Amino acid sequence: MSHTNRNFVIAYILLVGLPLLGLAGVLKSGRSLNAPFSVDGAWKIDAGAINASAAPCGDFLSSVSNSPVSISQSGTSLVINLGGKTTTGTLNGKTITAQFAGANSPNTTDCSDRSLTLTATLDPLTDPRTLSGRLSVQGCASCLPVEFRAVKQPRPAGGTR
Amino acid sequence: MPNLFILVLQVAVVLTACRLTGAFFKKIHQPRVVGEMFAGIMLGPSLLGWIAPHFSAYLFPASSLGFLNALSQIGVIVFMFLVGLKINPMELKKESHAAVLASHVSITAPFVLAAFLALYLYPRLSDDSVAFTNFALFMGAAMSITAFPVLARILAERRMLSSRLGTVAIACAAVDDVTGWCILAYIVVLIRAAHSETSIWMTLGGIVIFGLVMVFGVQRLLKGVFLNAYEKWGHLSENRMAFMLLLVLVSSLCTERLGIHLLFGAFLMGAIMPKEDRFIRYVLDRFETITITLLLPLFFAFTGLRTNIGLVKGHEMWMYCGLIILVATAGKLGGSTLAAWMSGMPLREAAGLGILMNTRGLMELVILNIGLDIKIISPALFSMMVIMALVTTFMTTPILNLICPKELLQGAPEKVIGKPVPTPSMAVHETETSVA
Repeated sequence: MSHTNRNFVIAYILLVGLPLLGLAGVLKSGRSLNAPFSVDGAWKIDAGAINASAAPCGDFLSSVSNSPVSISQSGTSLVINLGGKTTTGTLNGKTITAQFAGANSPNTTDCSDRSLTLTATLDPLTDPRTLSGRLSVQGCASCLPVEFRAVKQPRPAGGTR
Repeated sequence: MPNLFILVLQVAVVLTACRLTGAFFKKIHQPRVVGEMFAGIMLGPSLLGWIAPHFSAYLFPASSLGFLNALSQIGVIVFMFLVGLKINPMELKKESHAAVLASHVSITAPFVLAAFLALYLYPRLSDDSVAFTNFALFMGAAMSITAFPVLARILAERRMLSSRLGTVAIACAAVDDVTGWCILAYIVVLIRAAHSETSIWMTLGGIVIFGLVMVFGVQRLLKGVFLNAYEKWGHLSENRMAFMLLLVLVSSLCTERLGIHLLFGAFLMGAIMPKEDRFIRYVLDRFETITITLLLPLFFAFTGLRTNIGLVKGHEMWMYCGLIILVATAGKLGGSTLAAWMSGMPLREAAGLGILMNTRGLMELVILNIGLDIKIISPALFSMMVIMALVTTFMTTPILNLICPKELLQGAPEKVIGKPVPTPSMAVHETETSVA
């Protein structure tokens, strides 16, 4: 083997072979890592579970609760769309919290333009996954929170798009 | 039914924004494609949607994006066919030691560094629906890609295509792209197989058979149908051009059906086309203009509409973004420079190669869109990677000017160890428009 070829082989082993061994090690060690639970996608609120009869804001909360929910997830950061309103939220373990901003000067007679707080707990063991939580209106003492249950919808079939 | 008024308005706005921004970037000595990528981002939620949300919602209503995406995907299919067309597998076989080492290191270095970075990012930016192995492999493939067409354009503008640096860079970029796409195909198959009733072995078997049929069967037919006709008459009839396009679409459909992706079929069809210089130039002339001036800007716009820089919020997220740019640059630029220098290339020239290999451009956006489609990367990570693609492509020309002035590289003596470096012959074909 010529000097040039020997140098090439040594350089190749050093710069290509060793990193590939490192890659194998990384892939192996990475398997033990835990990422946040997946809540990304569309969710369907179980309308039957809404208990809003006693609340003065029940109609409003019921209509919001019956709206489709979609969550876009980046790790523990969430972008939640509920009934056309979009906000950011966080996933802490199994708990989702988010606040939908209300009007700057809320209507005093009607609570429908006040900010809305969503808290929900994920059950990761069910298939499909479910969320149990509550929606409450901020600064409206007479409005009782509405509890809901949501079921994750399967991804649309047929490819990647 | 699409709202035709909105669709045509969208195309007009995208076209105007891309041409104006592209022209501006050309004035500041950047490839036009960087400006067009930037225009796409400006039309999305990161700028237009932020400063004029109502106008943005009117111009790009969610219901219209499917049609815009469909048009842009047709453009990307043709573009990938043209990328495959420009790559000559025979040239890759004649690589010098420097090119072999630099090309392989320019894949492994960013790939391994990206996998290390994945250890840190996976628990922070992913979720448990994505396996770590797939996440790490995708990050590796996305970071090791090089924008072959942008790189070729930069070399052509600087009259460096025949220089030692130019030939090694072209060979490396071609190897990187082919390898990157193979790895990506593997990841897509793995992920789709998990959601499919067809076993992964059936899928892999199908892909191998398809590849063999294309390389050993269809390739020979192509020579007779296209090259011989071109050599006989000096041009191809409209029927033959339509047939060529049909073959691209059928090949794309086959790979999509086989569980990889439409784009692999288009790329493969381009790669197995006859590689005669004048023939390739002829085909490029017929397809390039409309693809690059009309359809690809729609892809930039669609990518921009999916890129929300607002998701990169807070110092922690920006730190992740900075880390991604740092790792991508260190792996690609550092790895290629080191390998070329160890192969006997002078340090300044080796650094030039590293900078050229760090160009990611449109190819990166294509890969990232696939990653977002199959949900292997999250929207925030997608936005960070798009920023990385923009930054690494933008930095190429100024740093190259700084480290490797034109006069230094033109006529540089051949010092590379091992076999002589081949001249690029038809490996790259350039026109004013081929900047994507």
